[in-house]
Amino acid sequence: MDLMSSSSGKAVVMSNIVKVYPDGTVALRGVNFELSKGEIHGLLGENGAGKTTLMKILSGLLKPTKGEIFVKGSKVVLKSASHALSLGIGMVHQHLSLVPVFTGYENIVLGIKGVKPSRKDVEELMRKVGLEAPLDVAVEDLPLGVRQRIEILKMLVRNVDVLILDEPTTNLTPIETRELFKSLRVLKEYGKTIVFITHKLREAMEVTDRITVLRRGKVVGTVKTSETNPVELAKMMVGREVVFSIEKTPKEPQGDALKVEDLWVMSDLGTQAVKGVSFNVRFGEIFGIAGVEGNGQTELVEAIAGLRNVVRGRIYLDNVDITYKHTKDRYSLGLAYIPEDRVKTALAMDMSVVENSILSLQWNSAFVSKLLSIKWSEARKHADRIVKKFDILVKSLDSPVKSLSGGNQQKLVVGRELSKEPKVVVAAQPTRGLDVGATEYIRKLLIQLRDAGKAVLLVSSDLDEVLTLSDRVAVMYEGKIMGVVDPSRVSEEVIGMMMGGYTLDQVRGLGGV
Amino acid sequence: MSAYLSRLASKASMENLSYLFNIVIAMLVGFLLGALLIAWGGYDPILAYASLVDTSLNVSDPYYIAMTLSFTTPVMLTALTFAVGVRAGLFNIGAEGQVYMGALGAIMVASLKLPPTLYLPLAILVGSLLGGLWGLIAGLFKALRNVNEVVSTIMLNWIAFWIVEYARVYVYFNPLRAEKTISMPPPGRLPIIVPGSELSLSYVISLATVVIVYFIIWNTRLGYNIRVTGISYHAAKYSGANPTLTTLYAFVLGGLVSGLAGVLEICGRPPEYAITTGASNLAGLGFDGIAVSLIGLNHPLLIIPASIVIGMLSAGSRGMQIRAGVPLELVKGVQGLIIISLAVPGFTYMLKRIKLKRSLRGVEGA
Ligand SMILES: Nc1ncnc2c1ncn2[C@@H]1O[C@H](COP(=O)(O)OP(=O)(O)O)[C@@H](O)[C@H]1O
Ligand SMILES: [Mg+2]
Repeated sequence: MDLMSSSSGKAVVMSNIVKVYPDGTVALRGVNFELSKGEIHGLLGENGAGKTTLMKILSGLLKPTKGEIFVKGSKVVLKSASHALSLGIGMVHQHLSLVPVFTGYENIVLGIKGVKPSRKDVEELMRKVGLEAPLDVAVEDLPLGVRQRIEILKMLVRNVDVLILDEPTTNLTPIETRELFKSLRVLKEYGKTIVFITHKLREAMEVTDRITVLRRGKVVGTVKTSETNPVELAKMMVGREVVFSIEKTPKEPQGDALKVEDLWVMSDLGTQAVKGVSFNVRFGEIFGIAGVEGNGQTELVEAIAGLRNVVRGRIYLDNVDITYKHTKDRYSLGLAYIPEDRVKTALAMDMSVVENSILSLQWNSAFVSKLLSIKWSEARKHADRIVKKFDILVKSLDSPVKSLSGGNQQKLVVGRELSKEPKVVVAAQPTRGLDVGATEYIRKLLIQLRDAGKAVLLVSSDLDEVLTLSDRVAVMYEGKIMGVVDPSRVSEEVIGMMMGGYTLDQVRGLGGV
Repeated sequence: MSAYLSRLASKASMENLSYLFNIVIAMLVGFLLGALLIAWGGYDPILAYASLVDTSLNVSDPYYIAMTLSFTTPVMLTALTFAVGVRAGLFNIGAEGQVYMGALGAIMVASLKLPPTLYLPLAILVGSLLGGLWGLIAGLFKALRNVNEVVSTIMLNWIAFWIVEYARVYVYFNPLRAEKTISMPPPGRLPIIVPGSELSLSYVISLATVVIVYFIIWNTRLGYNIRVTGISYHAAKYSGANPTLTTLYAFVLGGLVSGLAGVLEICGRPPEYAITTGASNLAGLGFDGIAVSLIGLNHPLLIIPASIVIGMLSAGSRGMQIRAGVPLELVKGVQGLIIISLAVPGFTYMLKRIKLKRSLRGVEGA
């Protein structure tokens, strides 16, 4: 297998790329991006910055709305992923796309037309680049790190020159990550050009030659890795104009409303998603959890709500141990929960406003008679109160909630949860996907709750949101808390660096404070 | 109740009108296809259909209407089983086997020496429970091993069939009439409502059951949990319900109801009051129920009018054979065409909802 390729200079030039998704989302606003031959190029940015979109365009999966692409100096219009592949560009996606029941070898050669590389060829390639993987085992039985190697090998046997890896370390153990980096350096020696998408500053610093930072669909800048530092990168990544500010009166919080001690929680993939997290939320404060999505926040919140088993550790709600209590008992003890997924979890979309207004309240004797029949007239009054109080736009209380706008759906969820007169409100991504008006409304409600002496745990990947609302902020990274800070007293770079994998102490050591 | 009425009124919207329109079209298509089949067989479609209607919906003689209603009795219940499944997000096609088990339960009771007043209540109890057990087994497969309910219920249908056949031949055989089991003794039989017809009190029991299940699904916490689970597993879990257990309840409820259908066929249908060779007096009731449920948009109350279609086709089949001379095989073919055509709109309606659910589920991966 010929791994060497000649000629130097620019491998790829993307010029003035604009991408508008069919639903109107503007993901890229005129991006210029260059790849030099034989470099490892980091593509850095927060969630939603447009990293995946940009690379899907380069790999032929998405068509740009505007802009030009040059591969090895000549202009191309990429028609499909296989077209891009024929030009030597291949992408390994964040969510791997192997056929589970096929073996490693079958997956690697799947879809190759004409002469398929033999097992020997593949084995030799594995040895050369240091990506070892069993070839005769069905990939569903392999750990994620190994499956990823197979995906990379799959690209390499197709002789790609430009290899794009989308957040490849998300599901890897530290050792697997180190091995991956070693292989990437070997590939670079063979002249491959690699795009390494990440939000992890530390990894970008470690393995790349140059870094391009994206923010909200625009390039902030491209820098040489040897000439930059994590503090500068963090600033580029999160530096922003404050969208709006909220009046918040100082308040003295008191007593632990929610206490989490050394909590360990597993992800759906069977990996540890939360690794020994401890914190406490007091009455009368908003405790924020910041961090790039997928660093264990979802699992943490689900464990607090009782939707996910705890491996180790304790959870206390107003001094009651709820670690092993059923979800409905946690609710009756004073927990309200606004889940991050309103469409799938917080609402039953085909059901009416009335029916949804008692979702999670169907255990409450106010809505259920002794015969276990539901008191619909009470439910209707309840729905009516929520709709009026929170100014929810509905055609009728009997309309299915799927006919409501996203903002009104979320108001219904928030209104329902607050109607429980809770002690602790857990709000996960409470304003995601909402328009400015609804966002502001819900943020103000959270502040009001805090002022009324409730405890609010706010989990959000929207940095503005966490920083403006919270009294204290913990930053989560790879299942751990990197530090807890007072957002009014630290700079955004500090938060950015913690989001990128530095603990508060390390940040201090690097002079980021 | 007034809340319910206002909900019904608001539901009489464009969507439902267009569904009604689709049903009418489907009916026309079904009858047209049936007519082609009859003509292809060399018979007169007009005469065939005239005799079909004249011997099923003829209001001048209560006998015909009574016969039609008597045939709606079991399929209302088997339709209910399917409908409850759909509400819980299941494709439960186990009604067929549950009917067999229910009938077997009734025959088991019939074989006992009992005080006369006990036959009926005990038959209903044992038969329904056997049906419920059959539902429970499919439910446990799903809950414990995540076995798809389509596969498990089809298998359970066959197992029930062979158990019943075995019992008919070796256990409850009728010493005088080899082609059927012993009959339910007269005290265990339900009284006939319209003399000379097959319409017995079982029709009323069936109707009452439909209303009770309707109440359970729409007005109790269990029904609420079933419906939430059917729409979204995650929402059910979030609400504090146990979706796995709830699904199990839905299976059992469905099984109880179809088990009852089997009991009613034994206790309430003259002249046999027994299970006949190859369970021929029970076969197909479960599958007809699926069609009825689909026509009724899987809504318990709409099942009542939807079941008339099956009742009419079954009651009129004799008229078609005798008056128009159409052979039984052809009559069955025509029935099948009409039922399938009628179920198409309801089926596509259901698929649309499933697709919507899938697409909602797909959002998470992105
Ligand atoms: N298929 C899609 N339809 C509509 N909007 C999308 C789609 N995919 C991504 N987006 C939006 O485009 C923006 C950029 O997304 P993405 O490229 O995935 O960012 P990143 O990979 O940097 O996290 C986000 O606002 C995201 O919500
Ligand atoms: Mg991405």
